[in-house]
Amino acid sequence: MAHDFPTAMTQHFSDSYRDASKDCVFAAAELKKDFDDGQVQALRGVDFRIMQGEFVAIIGPSGCGKTTLLQMLGALDRPSQGTLFYRGGALGALRDPAEYRAREIGIIFQAFHLLPTFTALENVQIPMFETKRSASERAARSVELLMAVGLGHRLHHLPSKLSGGERQRVAIARSLANGPSVLLADEPTGNLDSENAELILSLIIRLHREQNMTLVLVTHDLTIAQRASRTIQMKDGRIASDRKSPPHYKRRLT
Amino acid sequence: MTFFTIVVRGLLRRPVRTALTLVGISIGIAAVVALVGMAWGYEKSITKQLHVIGIDLVVSNMSGGIMPKVYDESLKDKVAKLPNVAEVTSVLMQMLSIEDAPMMMVSGREWGGFTWKQLKVIDGRMPRDATEHAVVLGRLAAEVLKKKVGDTVEIETKELPVVGIVDGQAVVENGAIILALPVFQEITENQGKVNFVDIRVTPNTTKDEINVLCDRIKGIFPAGRAMIAREVVGSSQGFRIARAMSWSTSILAIVVGILGVANTMLMTVFERTHEIGILLAVGWKRRRIVSMVLCESALLGLLGGVTGVALGAVGLKVLETTPFVHGLLEPDLSAELLFVSVAIAVAVGIVSGLYPAWRSSRLGPSLALHA
Repeated sequence: MAHDFPTAMTQHFSDSYRDASKDCVFAAAELKKDFDDGQVQALRGVDFRIMQGEFVAIIGPSGCGKTTLLQMLGALDRPSQGTLFYRGGALGALRDPAEYRAREIGIIFQAFHLLPTFTALENVQIPMFETKRSASERAARSVELLMAVGLGHRLHHLPSKLSGGERQRVAIARSLANGPSVLLADEPTGNLDSENAELILSLIIRLHREQNMTLVLVTHDLTIAQRASRTIQMKDGRIASDRKSPPHYKRRLT
Repeated sequence: MTFFTIVVRGLLRRPVRTALTLVGISIGIAAVVALVGMAWGYEKSITKQLHVIGIDLVVSNMSGGIMPKVYDESLKDKVAKLPNVAEVTSVLMQMLSIEDAPMMMVSGREWGGFTWKQLKVIDGRMPRDATEHAVVLGRLAAEVLKKKVGDTVEIETKELPVVGIVDGQAVVENGAIILALPVFQEITENQGKVNFVDIRVTPNTTKDEINVLCDRIKGIFPAGRAMIAREVVGSSQGFRIARAMSWSTSILAIVVGILGVANTMLMTVFERTHEIGILLAVGWKRRRIVSMVLCESALLGLLGGVTGVALGAVGLKVLETTPFVHGLLEPDLSAELLFVSVAIAVAVGIVSGLYPAWRSSRLGPSLALHA
């Protein structure tokens, strides 16, 4: 993950936030986000650190700012104030965070967000256009990824011909396209029935464990949150509680 | 899947809209091909005629319109005495509406002059002498007028018998009605007047000598000028107007094309706000989104250009058979025109895509995903 993050913008923040130790994936300092010229305050000052290999569940009622926070982590939006560091570099200092989104993180959404006119195989290839892979390498890797999520038999299906669970599996394969070290998931099972939800959740957790991926998962479902190694509860744009799961958490996974 | 697949998929997303836009561009480009092809064709046809007859220099007063003004035929004798002049002959040429044909070239040629020489009789015979009230018809003129030897042709209220059909090896010659100069002067009440003196220079005359000759002719005939045959067309005001008109109409068609494509591409961008958001969210650079929009619109232009050129070429072929054009000119369907037309279409596509592409670059992933 060799990245040259500009550091100029980060100079005035105290060094304690710029934890460049290789285990610190995210560090947020006084993160604020307003919408509609300050009329809506989605984040009102959030501080946290997320370490390599953690599985963090962000929970809270709707409107508490958990999705906004995930968008900050994915550099889909910029904070209004405060700084978010990724492995020691400020995300806000990136002129175009496209590269970060393409290589460092994978994102999964509640609504899947697949491109409707592209097949499963093609959807998975989309992020690879930002790499130097050739067309055949892109296709080969996509097949590999789709087989890994159990969709080897659905390669040439359009999203409209797939079930909800299958769509989310395509989205997961896509999020892994460029081998990210962080997986961000926004209510990944929110649109699925309980059986498929369990399937998708196990798949995500398996990725987290087998590939030591840092997993940040936004959910309002407490039973999902219980499977995380750490739970951040949000309320009104602030962190209400942040606690590690009891030691028996790992046993629950197996 | 390549980037091009994505571009094509973007266009196929709304096949009917893409098709309608293509029809729009095609019609515009077809208009360019037809109009410019006619203008260029006219120029080329005239140039070829002069070449076939072997005319090196033309003396005329070109300022008027398509046909130059008449002047006194005595100029011919003065020009003949100048150095480097091998042969001289005078012509009175008019564009007249003949019976059902709206415009035909009628050429009264000095009897015995070299302009008669390259005409080959296909049917009938040549006029007997300078005074015989008779015409010969170029091959195409006979076709257009539906005349054969033995019929009569009405020129300016005078009925003249057709005594022969000739082949003149150039479309302008074949589309002409040809008769002896004195007869035509009499019919058009232009006694003693001509509007062209055609010159053949002596072999091995240098460019400088030709320029000197032109200057001397200008001295004798200040109202007109001598022009090297291949420059005649370019310096004629009538041709210039025709060219300007064909281009200005073409530009109008092009502007309409640009607006059509721009509208389509803008719709595409608005409609795909969500998808563009997805592309940004999975790591696409803005530059790639912009080039996707531009490539789509350039591809629209290219496809529209190719179909437009085909449509225009067919249109020109059809126009060629109409009485108005048949025999008067050979439309220009050169590779140059076809290439220029397709290039224009691609440029139309790119220009039209600029604003939509800029709009697409303003989208952000989070806003777009919410849309």
